[in-house]
Amino acid sequence: MKKLIAISLLALSFAAGAAQAAVQTIKAEVNGMVCAFCAQGIEKKMRSLSQTKDVYVNLKQKLVAVELKEGQTLSHDTVKDLVKDAGYDVTKIETVGASVKDIKSSIKE
Amino acid sequence: MKFFVSLCAAAAMLTVIAPLPARAGPMGFSGSWMSMGDFSRNWREAFVNYAFTPRDAVGVETAYMRSDDGNRARYLNSLTYTRLLQRWNSRDAQANLWFIGGIGALRLADQAGAAGETRTMLTPGIQFDYETTRLYFQATERLYRARDVNHDYTSVRVGFSFHEAEYEETQPWLILEARRMHDLSEKTEITPMLRLINKNYFIEAGVNNASEPRFNFMYVF
Repeated sequence: MKKLIAISLLALSFAAGAAQAAVQTIKAEVNGMVCAFCAQGIEKKMRSLSQTKDVYVNLKQKLVAVELKEGQTLSHDTVKDLVKDAGYDVTKIETVGASVKDIKSSIKE
Repeated sequence: MKFFVSLCAAAAMLTVIAPLPARAGPMGFSGSWMSMGDFSRNWREAFVNYAFTPRDAVGVETAYMRSDDGNRARYLNSLTYTRLLQRWNSRDAQANLWFIGGIGALRLADQAGAAGETRTMLTPGIQFDYETTRLYFQATERLYRARDVNHDYTSVRVGFSFHEAEYEETQPWLILEARRMHDLSEKTEITPMLRLINKNYFIEAGVNNASEPRFNFMYVF
């Protein structure tokens, strides 16, 4: 019985770890993003993508973060092109294994 | 066809709003509609445009202009084209150079003569703006020309925000505008305005140096 419980706990922890690892967010540093009214285009364009789960815009950090739905992919070039379409320039872009919620929390700390 | 119907609907909507405007503003992001209104006693305008590329928008505009003495009024309905000529993005600022132009029908309503006459009006103009999260500058020069009519419009705006704001917050600004409308007023109109910027709306309200109220808005959808 103890063995069964141990195996179950191990399986659960692996599953949780896998779910955590599945979280993918594209973080972009964007030049020219100085007002919320003007930057709304970036958020709307990102939210219109079927791969998008959540979007976070931070004017002070010049940051746009796009969290992807589980199992979805999105190229950096697509994000750059959409930001360009909205009138801004991406200066740095990376994919991180953190959710938008985590990124928000880390910035506010 | 859908676009044309939408444009006609927007034009009809503006016509219903009032006998409004003339100086156009810029545009939203690619694929968006932008509406804007600028309302004061002697100058009222509204427009809607559609950005069909990141740099180009077409729309409709309606304007009402009146001389200070109230004896002469102008009603303009026009088609507009807005072009982002140049944009400069840096980490903490953005600057833009715009072309704004229109062609439309100007109806003159003077108390003495020419009442009701309609002429073709051309309204080419240039606008430059520079903005950080705390400072704002804008200069606009737009011609309003028809046969024997010159109501060229010049405005300069400067402003500052009271504090930086998060993307989700509403940011208050104090804006000071000076503007002149040739052959409608001999005075320079000075208007301090409180501006509120939110990710969903942009509004300004103030009172000019003739103690007349002013209200502006922009909305992107």
